[in-house]
Amino acid sequence: MSQFMLLLYHDPKGFQKLSPEQMQQALEKYMAWTKKPFMVDSKRLAEDAGKVIRPQGGKPRATDGPYSESKEILGGYYTIEAKDYDEAVKRTLDHPHLEFGGTIEVRQLYTS
Amino acid sequence: MEIDHLFRHQAGRIVARLSRTLGPPHVSLAEDAVQEAMLRAVQTWPYQGMPDNPAGWLFRVAHNLAIDAVRRDKTFGDKAEALAAELTRSAVTMPRDEIDVEEQLRDDELRMIFMCCHPELSREASVALSLKTIGAFSVGEIARAFLADEATIAQRIVRAKRQIRESQLTLQMPAANELDARLDAVLDVIYFMFNEGYSAHSGVDLIRHDLCLEALRLGRLVVSASIAKPRVHALVALMALQAARFPARVDAAGDLVLLEDQDRSSWDERLIAIGFHHFDRSISGEEVSEYHVQAAIAATHARATDAQSVDWPLILTLYDQLLSINPSPVVALNRAVAVSKTHGAAEALTAIESIERDPKLRHYHLLLAVRGHLLLQIGRADEAAGDFQAALSCACSEPERRFLARKLEACR
Repeated sequence: MSQFMLLLYHDPKGFQKLSPEQMQQALEKYMAWTKKPFMVDSKRLAEDAGKVIRPQGGKPRATDGPYSESKEILGGYYTIEAKDYDEAVKRTLDHPHLEFGGTIEVRQLYTS
Repeated sequence: MEIDHLFRHQAGRIVARLSRTLGPPHVSLAEDAVQEAMLRAVQTWPYQGMPDNPAGWLFRVAHNLAIDAVRRDKTFGDKAEALAAELTRSAVTMPRDEIDVEEQLRDDELRMIFMCCHPELSREASVALSLKTIGAFSVGEIARAFLADEATIAQRIVRAKRQIRESQLTLQMPAANELDARLDAVLDVIYFMFNEGYSAHSGVDLIRHDLCLEALRLGRLVVSASIAKPRVHALVALMALQAARFPARVDAAGDLVLLEDQDRSSWDERLIAIGFHHFDRSISGEEVSEYHVQAAIAATHARATDAQSVDWPLILTLYDQLLSINPSPVVALNRAVAVSKTHGAAEALTAIESIERDPKLRHYHLLLAVRGHLLLQIGRADEAAGDFQAALSCACSEPERRFLARKLEACR
């Protein structure tokens, strides 16, 4: 069994128009998904732009960022188990994040 | 989540709590803070897991967001820090199943209801504002429930909030000398909200059930307060007994099922129990309101084990009583149904003659439907067909239309 990271991107304004009732329904769907047997780990990233450190003239410098072009930001990640990419993708297709306009990047963790 | 409508109900009470600290002109700030807190819950809990006390989490985060907003908002000026300190104190009384805390929060909501239903606001404004601030319905949900467009509802709410500021309405409970009138205004809004949801005009959209259940929730909130009068119990009884029939009102195909054809075993027993509990309390005093009589009618239906054992003579007496309190054509029409069950269709036709002349009801599809039904019973099928045909040309919902079409078919 390999492990895969699901990186969840979303438009920060995405849920704003939902009513409390609709937000609860969305939340319930998300929570239900986290109960899946292949779930390994999950973490939410803080709601800020973060920092990027790059060498500049041989010296590392931190800037605010990454400020990507797209309006979507990386909100958090899940680690799941699957035997290959096909299964990882299949297991992710019904994630409610997609129903609410988010994007999920699937990356396999390296194992030697 | 184990708790039904947790977000909707917590939103209402947190807005009420924040507004009490911030003051009525800042209801919108309170609403924004609550909306943002819920947004954070949706974006955090799926990764970090549910907090042990979800209601308390929302309460605390909304308070923190409100404190930030107060500090950012220049219009608070040098009052900002005092308000922030007060919000910090308020955040400590978070919901955690302690009776005194529950009472405080209920008291906040009650004050909010009385302000939203202030007689200075129109009934439509009160309903929209109550649903938005206490019921935590979105503008879109309110618009759908009232078959209005979102801009109209949004504007209605903005105007109501402006009027609260201009008339300087407060979150104080009304003084003893005006309590009766203010209570009546509240009950009127709640009953209107319930009826809007209960009427079959827009078919079976679930949001309309939510409207009824919210009216019932508000009624139960008022009834639990010390200011509750017997007529509040009567209203709650009436709403609970009628709402109990929801599961039986529509069949699997989405068609309307008449009361007499409903499967009574699918009526909601819990709501019926709530209804009778309050009905018993409503008759404790001398007071007889319209709600009392309506509740008595609903209770008579609920007591019957099947459609054949309904005590129609009693219902007719109750309609006579209701008609003397509220001589409206709609009541007269309902009374005619009781007449037909007690004395037959011919007599019921005589009973509705007076309302047929009311020009406002000439295009009222329910009058035509009832008359068609009565005519068909005594074999005047051609005339009945004419009535169903005419009813079909009135504005009515899709399930009603299908129902009328079936009746028309039966005339042939």
